[in-house]
Amino acid sequence: MATLAERRSLEPWQDPKAAPYLRIDRVTKKFGDVYAVDDVSLNIFQGEFFSLLGSSGCGKSTLLRLLAGLESPSSGRIFIDGVDVTAVPAYSRPVNMMFQSYALFPHMSVEQNIAFGLQQERLPSRERAERVAEMLNLLKISELRKRRPDQLSGGQRQRVALARSLAKHPKLLLLDEPLGALDKRLRENTQFELVNLQERLGITFVTVTHDQEEAMTMSTRIAVMDAGQIMQIDTPTAIYEFPTCRFVAEFIGSVNLFEGKVVESAGELVTVETQLGRPLQMRSFQPLAIGASVAVAIRPEKMRICSDYREDGVNQVQGVVEDIAYLGDVSIYRIRVADGSLVEMTLTNVQPRTEQALTWDQAVAIEWSPSSGVILTE
Amino acid sequence: MSRSMQDQARSDRRLSRLINIGLPYVWLGLFFLLPFVIVLHISLAESTLAQPPYTALWHWLDRGLLQIEINLGNFLLVFEDDLYAWALWHSLQVAFVSTVLCLLLGYPMAYAIATSASRWRLILLMLIILPFWTSFLIRVYAWIGILQTNGLLNDLLLWLGLIETPLSILHTPTAVYIGVVYSYLPFMILPLYANLTRLDPILLEAAADLGCRPLRAFFRITVPLSLPGILAGSMLVFIPVVGEFVIPDLLGGPESLMLGKLLWTEFFSNTDWPLASALAIVLLGILVVPFVMMQRLQQRLEENRP
Amino acid sequence: MKRQRWPLLSVLAFGYAFLYVPILLLILYSFNESRLVTVWSGFSTKWYGELFRNTQLLDAAWLSVRIAATNATFAVVLGTLAANAMVRHRHFRGRTGFELLITAPLVMPDVIIGLSLLLLFVAMQQGIGWPDGRGFTTITIAHITFSMAYVAVIVRARLLQLDRSLEEAAMDLGARPLTVYLRITLPLIAPALLAGWLLAFTLSLDDLVIASFVAGPGSTTLPMVIYSSVRLGVSPQINALATIIVAIVTLAVLIAALALRGERARR
Repeated sequence: MATLAERRSLEPWQDPKAAPYLRIDRVTKKFGDVYAVDDVSLNIFQGEFFSLLGSSGCGKSTLLRLLAGLESPSSGRIFIDGVDVTAVPAYSRPVNMMFQSYALFPHMSVEQNIAFGLQQERLPSRERAERVAEMLNLLKISELRKRRPDQLSGGQRQRVALARSLAKHPKLLLLDEPLGALDKRLRENTQFELVNLQERLGITFVTVTHDQEEAMTMSTRIAVMDAGQIMQIDTPTAIYEFPTCRFVAEFIGSVNLFEGKVVESAGELVTVETQLGRPLQMRSFQPLAIGASVAVAIRPEKMRICSDYREDGVNQVQGVVEDIAYLGDVSIYRIRVADGSLVEMTLTNVQPRTEQALTWDQAVAIEWSPSSGVILTE
Repeated sequence: MSRSMQDQARSDRRLSRLINIGLPYVWLGLFFLLPFVIVLHISLAESTLAQPPYTALWHWLDRGLLQIEINLGNFLLVFEDDLYAWALWHSLQVAFVSTVLCLLLGYPMAYAIATSASRWRLILLMLIILPFWTSFLIRVYAWIGILQTNGLLNDLLLWLGLIETPLSILHTPTAVYIGVVYSYLPFMILPLYANLTRLDPILLEAAADLGCRPLRAFFRITVPLSLPGILAGSMLVFIPVVGEFVIPDLLGGPESLMLGKLLWTEFFSNTDWPLASALAIVLLGILVVPFVMMQRLQQRLEENRP
Repeated sequence: MKRQRWPLLSVLAFGYAFLYVPILLLILYSFNESRLVTVWSGFSTKWYGELFRNTQLLDAAWLSVRIAATNATFAVVLGTLAANAMVRHRHFRGRTGFELLITAPLVMPDVIIGLSLLLLFVAMQQGIGWPDGRGFTTITIAHITFSMAYVAVIVRARLLQLDRSLEEAAMDLGARPLTVYLRITLPLIAPALLAGWLLAFTLSLDDLVIASFVAGPGSTTLPMVIYSSVRLGVSPQINALATIIVAIVTLAVLIAALALRGERARR
C-alpha cells in the first residue's frame, strides 16, 4: 500500500504546494480571425507524460508549437521551470521536439542528424561523439549510424528522430503524433517502449495525439481539446469513467446519453426524468437543482441483460435488438428502446459466437447500476 | 535575458527581410523599372541629329521659367501610319495563330508524354527540353537551309514528285509560323505536361465507371481540368512572340513586318530613338492585359496549392 | 480498357521529328564538302578547321562564355534572394509589385528590355558618368536582369516543395536562422541552384537582341557574330558551330542523367 505522501509524489497535480515545471498561462493564438488556441491555461509537472488529445484542427498541434517556440502566442505567457520563455525564440529554448514527419535531414547520416543539436551547443567533439554513441545505444540503432534517412524503415526513422530530440538532454520533450506514422502492431510495441524510456530518463513528455487508445495507454494525464479550448484535464481513468461534459464523454469511447430533467435529489442519488418513460437513478458527486437539464451518460460495457425486469424497475429499459456487430472478443448490440432511440450495449463473448445470448429482432431488457455512469450538466 | 534574445531574433529577421527583399527589389527597380520611365520619357521627345539623338523635354528659361515640350507625334504616327498599324495587327495575328498551332501540336504531345510509362516519361521530357539548351539563333537558322527555294524541303518534295516547281516558303508568313512554332513549342508543352501529370487517373476511371466513353471523358474531364496549363502555356507563347525579332527577321519576308522587327529597324537603321521608344511603349501596353491575366492565374494556382 | 494510342503516338513522333530533324540536318551538313548547304558533295571536316581559325568568332565565343558565367553567378544569388523573399516573407508591403517585377522579365520581349536598358545606360553615362562605355559590364547587367527571374522561378518551386518542418527541426535543435539556412536549406535546394545557374548561363549565351542593344563597339558576342553571318545566308561554319554546341549540350545532359542514375542506385 502506497502512503499518501508517495501517492502525492506520483500525482503532483494533487499537491497544491507542488510547482509546475511547465506553466501555460491564459495563452491564445489567433491566425487571422481564427482562434487556434483559445485562452488555455495548463500546469504540467516534472516527470509527467502528458497528452494533448483531440481531433484534427482542435489546436493541439498549435499549442505544442507554441511550447517549442515555433509560433508565438497572440496573448498569454509560457513559463518553463519558473522562467518566462514566451519571447524566447525556438533555438534558445531548453525544449526539444519530435516532429510528426520526423523531419530527419535527408542530406545527413543518422549520426550527423543526432549530432546536429550538439554542434549548435558547440559541445567539444569528444563529448559529442560520446553523446551520439549514448543515444544510438539507448535506442538500439548503433548499426544504422552511417545510413541516410531514405535508407531507413518507418520504425527506424522514428527511433532516429527520438534519438535526435533526446541528444541535447532536454528536460522537456515535445512529441507531435510520435506514433502516427507507424503501422498498428509496431505502434503498440512502441507505446510501451516510449513510456519505459520516459520513466527511465525522468524527462517530462508532452505529446499530441488524435488516438485516444494511445493517450490512455501512455499518459499520466490527458487534456482533451476542442476548438482551441481544453475541455477536461484528468488521468486516463477519470477521463473515461468521469467525463465532465458531453464532448469528452462522446469523444472518448462510446457512450449512451439520455437527456432529461432532475426531478429528485436525495443525498448522492439523483433521479432524472427522461424520454424513456421511467425515471433513471444515478449517483452524483455534485449537488443538482431540481428541474436542471442534464444528460445521463452510460458506457455500453456497463449495460447488462436484465433477468428480473419489472414495470417500475429502476434503470431498466426494454427494447428490440436491431444491429449486432461481432468484434471477436466482444459484440456490440444496438437496441431500439421505447422512445425510439438506439441504446448501445457491449457484451464480452464468453461463449463461441454460435451460442450468443442475443439475436436480431429479439426482445430484451437491459439494466445498469446507479454508480456505473455519470450525470453531465455541460 | 529573454528580452534581448527576442530583440536579437527580431533584428535577425529584419536583416533577412532587408537582404532577401531589398537587394532584388533595388536591382529590378534600377535595371528594369527605371528604364521604362526613361523609355516613356524619350518616346515623348523628338528625334534630332545629335548625341544622344533626341531632344530634351524641358528647358530652363530666364527668370525661373520652365518650358516643357511634349511631343505626341511618335504615338500619332504609330497609330495613324498604315505601316505601323499593319505591323501592330500582324504581330498580334502571328502571335495568336502561332499560339493556337503550338496548342494543337503541343497538347497531344504533352498528353502522350504524361500518360506514357514512367520509365519513358523522363526521357521524353528531356527530349523536349534539350533543344531549348542549344542556341535559339542556330535553330532558327537551320530552317533557312530547309525552307529556301533550292532547299532540302523542296528537294524532297520534287524527288517525291509531289510538286513540279519549287515552292517559295522562305521569306513568307508560313516560314515565320514554322519558325515560331518550332522555337516556342517547348514553352507550351512544359506547363501542359506539369498540369496533366497532376491529373489523377482515378477521375478518368470514375468517369468510365459512370459510363462515359474515353473520348467524351477526355473532353469532359481532362480538358477542363487542364485549362490552367493551357492558359499558362498560351501566355508563355503569345506574349514573347508579339515582340519577336529574330524569327521574322531571318525567316520572314517584307510583308512579315512585326513590331519587334520594326522597333529594331527604327532604332538601328533609322536611329530614331523616340519613335522606337514609342513603339516599345505601345508594345508594352498591348502586353499588359495578357501579362496581368497570367499573373492572376499564377496566384490562383498558388493559393489552391495544398 | 485498352485505349487506341496510335493516333497520339503518331502526333508525338511527328512532334519529335519536327523538333529534331532540323538539328540533325544541321549536323549532317556540317560535314559536307560543298559550301552549298543543300548539295552533298562528300564528307569533310574542313569547316571545323575554318571555324577554329576564325579568330573573330572565337573571341566572341570567349567573351560570351565570360559574360554567361558572370551573369549566371550573379543571377543565382539575386534570384535565390528573390525566391526567399516570395516564399519566406509571405506578407510584406509591395509584395504584388515585387512578384510582378520578378515575373515580368520572363515574358518581356527582348527588344523592349534591350532598348530600355540601353536608354538607361546612356542616361546614366550622361548623368553620373557610369558606365563608361558599353561592353562586358552592360551586357552582363542586362543579362542578370532577365536571368534572375528564371532562377527565382526555379528556386521558388523547390522552396515551396521543401518540408518546412526540416527547418523548424533545426531551429528546435538550437540552430540560429542563418545556420539553418546555410546547413539545411541551401544543401536541400542545391539542385535547383545548379539548374538555375545552367539555365542562366544558357540564356545569356543564347541572347542576341538584348546584347545587340547594350553592346558597344568592340564587344561582339557569339550570337552577334552568328547573326551577321547568318543574315548573309547559309554558312557551313555555322553548321559546324551548331554541331559543337549540340555535342556539348548532349554530353552535359548525358553526364547529368548518369549522375542522377548513380545517385538513385546508391540509395
